[in-house]
Amino acid sequence: MSKPVISASWGAVGLLLIGCGGAAVPQDQLSTAQAALKGAEVAGAAEDPKAALHLKLAREGLDRAKALISDDRNEEAASAIDRAQADADLAIVLSKEARAKKEAADTREQVEELKSRIVK
Amino acid sequence: MTQQHRISSAFAVKHVARTVRVSSLSSLFVVAALSVACGAANPPKELLDARAAYTRVASGPAKDLAPAELDTAKQSLGRAEGSFQEDGDSPRTRDLAYIAERRTLQADAQAGIIQAERDREQVDKDLKKAQLATIDKTRAELDSERRAKEASTLEAKQSKADLEKEKKAREEAEKRAAAAMASLAEVAKVKEESRGVVITLSGAVLFATGKSELLPIAREKLTEVARAVKDQGFKEIVVEGHTDAQGSAIKNEALSLARAESVRSHLVGQGIPPDKIRATGLGSNRPVAENTTAEGRANNRRVEIVVSPLK
Repeated sequence: MSKPVISASWGAVGLLLIGCGGAAVPQDQLSTAQAALKGAEVAGAAEDPKAALHLKLAREGLDRAKALISDDRNEEAASAIDRAQADADLAIVLSKEARAKKEAADTREQVEELKSRIVK
Repeated sequence: MTQQHRISSAFAVKHVARTVRVSSLSSLFVVAALSVACGAANPPKELLDARAAYTRVASGPAKDLAPAELDTAKQSLGRAEGSFQEDGDSPRTRDLAYIAERRTLQADAQAGIIQAERDREQVDKDLKKAQLATIDKTRAELDSERRAKEASTLEAKQSKADLEKEKKAREEAEKRAAAAMASLAEVAKVKEESRGVVITLSGAVLFATGKSELLPIAREKLTEVARAVKDQGFKEIVVEGHTDAQGSAIKNEALSLARAESVRSHLVGQGIPPDKIRATGLGSNRPVAENTTAEGRANNRRVEIVVSPLK
């Protein structure tokens, strides 16, 4: 076998690896998305219905991604992770929104109570 | 886009791909088919959702309150649209559209946060105002409560002072009366009877034998009697002259009356109103002792001042 042939066959191997084995395990993406999921949990996403929906979607997406990774279906896993990341990010902002609204409402209630006491 | 559509378009792509391998001649057809597939492919549900969300959110408060997040959403949707233009309804397009919808909702939520924070600021101001008003009200209530308390305390003090004054006055009156009685007791025998307070002065102290002029010492004693009687207060005074049984009854009565008159005029001279005091001579008609002994006769020679008390 001549040298060009060897390099060509190595190149074929490389191509095969990319083509068949598909993408590498999206470990970094998974870690980032998992951190976002954790953040959503900490932010109290489970307590607001809208946020809870996206928290659930993110969690399911990451579970699916892990299963796909163990099946060596990394490309599909990356897709699931991308979606889960978007859901986790949204869940965080939604829980922040819910909390901000609740605080405003609580304060307003306090004001109303004080006002009613002043009138009396 | 229905499931049916997705399946058929996917099938079309696969079919075309196989055709490519079969014949290079048909490659032109392939390109045509692909472009047809892309142009004809209905946008996936994810993209439709993302577009609808963006249209809704972009015309809402996010435009003003979360422009940066809205722009991120716009770019995200742009990538999804680009992918759809290039690859049609591919998994990547769906992923990008899915992500774009969430970015859009995120912009909306961010606007909600900003709005809530602004509301909160206003409400905080209202709260501060309400708290100050509450404090003012509480202070006013406390003030009026304190004033009421002070007023009632003052009233209590005043009524207490009044009582105190009254009590003192009463005590003084009692003291004065007691002192008057005591001073009377020194100069005369004082007895409380049903007709009033009876002050009995011995005739020996008042008069010389057979005379009706008061002795100097008698004047002093009667002056004290007058003061005591005035201090006590009275309705009426009757001065009664009494003698022993020696001598004629007529003489005795005349003497007793003259002596009673002497006492009366002295008392009037000491400030007893004349219309409230009268004199009477009873002679020996009302002895208080036996006339058989010298001591008894001495006791019978007397003047009684009967003071009828104020009712």
